[in-house]
Amino acid sequence: MTTNVPAYEVHAGEHGGAKPNFLNVTKGFMSWAATLDHKRIGIMYLIGVTAAFLAGGLFALLVRLHLWEPTGLLFDNATYNQIFTLHGAFMVFIFVIPAIPGSLGNIVLPIMLGAKDVALPRLNLLSFYLWVTGTCFALYAILAGGFDTGWTFYAPYSLYSTQAVISIGLGIFILGFSSIFTGLNFIVTTHKLRAPGMTWFRMPLFVWAIYATSILQVLATPVLGITILLVAFERLYGVGIFDPRLGGDPVLFEHFFWFYSHPAVYIMVLPAFGIISELVTVHSRKPLFGYKLIAFSSIAIAVISFLVWGHHMFTSGQSTYAMFAFSFLTFFVAIPTAIKEFSWVATIWKGSIAMNSPMLYTLAFLIIFAIGGLTGVILGALNVDIHLHDTYFVVAHFHYVMMGSIALAFFAGLHHWWPKIFGVIYNEGLAKLACGIIFVGFNATFIPQFVMGSRGMPRRYATYIEDYQPFHQASTIGAMVLGAGVALMVGYLVHSLLAGKKAMQNHWGGVTLDWLSPTPPPLENFDEAPVVTTEVYDYSTLDLKTTQTPVR
Amino acid sequence: MSHDHGHSVVVPAPGPGFLPHTVAHHFDTPKQEFQAAKLGFWLFLATEILLFGGLFAAYFYFHQVYPETFKVGGAQLNWRLGAVNTIVLLLSSWTMAMGVRSAQVSQKGKLLMYCALTVLGAVIFMCIKFVEYQAKFDHGLLPVFGGMHDALGQQLQWYTDHDGVMAGVPHGNLFFSIYFTMTAIHGLHVIIGAGLIVWIMFGAAKGRFHANYFLPVDLVGLYWHLVDLIWIFLFPLLYLVP
Amino acid sequence: MISTLIQDPKNYVENPAKLPVLSDKWGQLEPLASTFDHVDGLFYFTYVVCIFFFVLITGVLALSVVKYRRKTFDQPAASNVTHNTPLEVIWTIIPLIIVMVMFVWGWKGSNDMLVAPADARQYKAVAKQWNWAFSYPGSKVQSYNELWLEVDKSAAFTLQSTDVLHAFFLPGMRVKRDVVPGRQQTAWFRPTKTGDYHLFCAEYCGQDHSKMYALVHVVTADEYAKKPWDVLKDSTPAESIASGENIYKALCISCHSVNGTPGTGPSWGGAKGLFAKDGDKVIGRAREVVLADGSTQTVTVDEAYIKESIAMPNAKKVAELPYRNNNMSAFADLDERRVNCLIAYMKSLASN
Repeated sequence: MTTNVPAYEVHAGEHGGAKPNFLNVTKGFMSWAATLDHKRIGIMYLIGVTAAFLAGGLFALLVRLHLWEPTGLLFDNATYNQIFTLHGAFMVFIFVIPAIPGSLGNIVLPIMLGAKDVALPRLNLLSFYLWVTGTCFALYAILAGGFDTGWTFYAPYSLYSTQAVISIGLGIFILGFSSIFTGLNFIVTTHKLRAPGMTWFRMPLFVWAIYATSILQVLATPVLGITILLVAFERLYGVGIFDPRLGGDPVLFEHFFWFYSHPAVYIMVLPAFGIISELVTVHSRKPLFGYKLIAFSSIAIAVISFLVWGHHMFTSGQSTYAMFAFSFLTFFVAIPTAIKEFSWVATIWKGSIAMNSPMLYTLAFLIIFAIGGLTGVILGALNVDIHLHDTYFVVAHFHYVMMGSIALAFFAGLHHWWPKIFGVIYNEGLAKLACGIIFVGFNATFIPQFVMGSRGMPRRYATYIEDYQPFHQASTIGAMVLGAGVALMVGYLVHSLLAGKKAMQNHWGGVTLDWLSPTPPPLENFDEAPVVTTEVYDYSTLDLKTTQTPVR
Repeated sequence: MSHDHGHSVVVPAPGPGFLPHTVAHHFDTPKQEFQAAKLGFWLFLATEILLFGGLFAAYFYFHQVYPETFKVGGAQLNWRLGAVNTIVLLLSSWTMAMGVRSAQVSQKGKLLMYCALTVLGAVIFMCIKFVEYQAKFDHGLLPVFGGMHDALGQQLQWYTDHDGVMAGVPHGNLFFSIYFTMTAIHGLHVIIGAGLIVWIMFGAAKGRFHANYFLPVDLVGLYWHLVDLIWIFLFPLLYLVP
Repeated sequence: MISTLIQDPKNYVENPAKLPVLSDKWGQLEPLASTFDHVDGLFYFTYVVCIFFFVLITGVLALSVVKYRRKTFDQPAASNVTHNTPLEVIWTIIPLIIVMVMFVWGWKGSNDMLVAPADARQYKAVAKQWNWAFSYPGSKVQSYNELWLEVDKSAAFTLQSTDVLHAFFLPGMRVKRDVVPGRQQTAWFRPTKTGDYHLFCAEYCGQDHSKMYALVHVVTADEYAKKPWDVLKDSTPAESIASGENIYKALCISCHSVNGTPGTGPSWGGAKGLFAKDGDKVIGRAREVVLADGSTQTVTVDEAYIKESIAMPNAKKVAELPYRNNNMSAFADLDERRVNCLIAYMKSLASN
């Protein structure tokens, strides 16, 4: 994509050398806490969601350790139930949903569009502080005795439980607003702040992905909000909407809950798809195969995702017509997703493939997501789902898409944009090693879960019958390996901030505006406002010199 | 229109008594700022519609499962008071629209007057609501604060139905649960809307809103129209069903 | 919070000599139930399709990485093709056809599983936190956490819950249905092989969700005719006490201890237990209780009090904290023989 932006600018003598970038242009605590700069907000999100991920991961390791023994190794049942609930709630609401849009989306999307910032910077900061507030409520809920309803807090158990359900409910309600405002901001930014010459079909696919995500965030999250409010009213006043003793219907709760939570999983995965789209093209130095199909498939997935929530409830006693419709549409949503996967593979084929760490994480994603997506298809078949519902097969499926795909895409994106954001590069050898350990550990954790789930091992079990022990033990060992890989990754990434080598101006050789801005970007992203004159992934415009010239 | 720090776009005031408006620095033109804010606000209104959408879904579901309960329950509501409230809100929407128009032609005095009338409408609405709620408390058909009861499966005592008006229908509490939840959340939005209009009045008094910059008035007006629209759906469903 | 290994038995059945056997292993060739064919066939088909696509994707990736690896920093892509309409059409249409096949097959299979045949025997399964009670056609005796079925006879279950969501899950029969309080759900199957099978609760229901286990015995017609579920042994006092202990472990152990340890519910034994020994006699202790209207009363434990407390636990709740704030599910349909066995067991716990 040629523009009138010089690939890099060096102004010797001004400010004693390199121009100030967004990291050092102002200093001090308040310059970060009260910042309106989308890049700084993104970094604050990054720190926050990483902490949430590590906390959620710690709960996961406790869960797996406890399940080493059939009678439970570490906790009594009630405590175990709290721990798996915390793992789910932290990971879903505090980590996965906000992570990619809040961190990489915030930092990268405006630069990709050629804008100076998002459309509503104060709303952006508010979104971040709402995330912080919601997380504080969650922490308070833990201190107030915890909660053991599962992250899905089904009625009527969530109505009768004597634990801190309302506290965590309020936390999730506030986190929901953070999500809504982030999505709202990105939609307006995409519509109104594109650089001159950037038509919709010249936008990078990461923007399309975030745009589709944002539609879901804005339209689906309010339904979760009202569900939480109703549960809170039910607990406080006994309004009786979900409580069968008062005339209510527990299955109505399930409908309300999944009407949000199914689009929620696409809120989680679409940004990951966006990252992978960017990475396959840059690291194969080849334009994306089927750009328009990938862009439209994101929108198609967003729309269809509103119509399939009932596939979480096939055993709840739905009518056969409902089962028909939900199963049919569930298979339908598999097709745009398959198109993406095939398009990515076709992009890599006959490219110029750089086997660096972002690409390794991307390849790991493509393999793991194939398994995750395909097992979703298995679950879409009605009678098979009846056997597999609420077993470890489902647990393995969603961990393949959420951890193995989304988290891995998040790691890939971090590695990919790390040199751009911070101007330093991490230790490549350790990165490759960590990727390998994570890949092996992840599969070792969850493949046994597919097997035991298909053999009937139910989920959310604090204890289990002895027959399943070998699978649980294998899974636990895998989890420890996975944890080690993640720890290594965090280690070398943090180390790079303290003592990393300087990155190149355009470290990987991308041609979208995010790679053409200075490294790290200045406060308003560009020294001169860019104008777009060519198509989006045109590598003939790549100035190879910038991939060899270090940041000053 | 590029710029660097310290040179933002400024929209001039149309005359004495008004203030100029500085466009936020990341926007290039006032028009871009206006369009971006308006798009963002419509998206926010969409979230409000979906929030209430969930409640409407609950209403329709329970109406279908317990039609008798909704018939008898609806008969307990005072449809006359509800109709007055509907007219009050409709009128207040008109005064709000007139207020936006006044801002668009830089008529500060009229803007303040129309805003005040709209807030008055909101106050009347909430007073009538209070009267209705009071009547329901007295008949034991609405929750009371204090004396909370546990949510552990024992028949909750907020719904006592002193006069036994709902005795012949199953789960009479359900109608009032839906009624209270929907109208209380709507009432909260009325209060928020009134608060926003008061904020506009403060700004209007200073001369912030005029023909060259009336965006906040426009957006608050949109919010108020949504609040009105939701009531227009609530009223027939809850009050006029029997 | 972190405690030592829990000593509970893994299953609370009235014939603890019989341990569960995983006779419903996945992949066993003989069908174990009428529902087998529908589910397993489609599962294997889908599984093979998944393997095919997985191998295809991984294969192309592996080949790409080997063949087209970037060897010099300026190496361009081997091809800049961004479209191939025939290929794109193929990889849209073929998956679409495959998933439609899966959909139709799955839907037809599930429809067959939903409608019980007219000649199915009607059983009832009542789920409560955290045990299963089964009622049999033509019998007045229930069984707890153990179910007997006749081979080659269709069994239809009416599923009820007295408290929260549960799920009725027999992996060996490929049967699962949520048990929703306030609703009646049904599930059916026809077992085709004798043996013992697992029944799990498959919807999270609180503390002992993982212990809500039942053992299903599929027996021959002759054995079934002997009403093997009527297992309650209460012809002698010793038998009654032993049966009472089994019932305690099946239904009461989650909340009540027998040695004075406090729990969700008051302990049956120890210094504040139900009964005390007075020489040779066993007499009930006195305790303070709270009535439904909030007033307190002192009662002496006797059989009437115990029977009332089992059927209507909130009529008289123990006043001491935390018991007065905790709740017990009612066991209103616990049959009288079992209640008497429990009382015999409770009396055997009397201490000085």
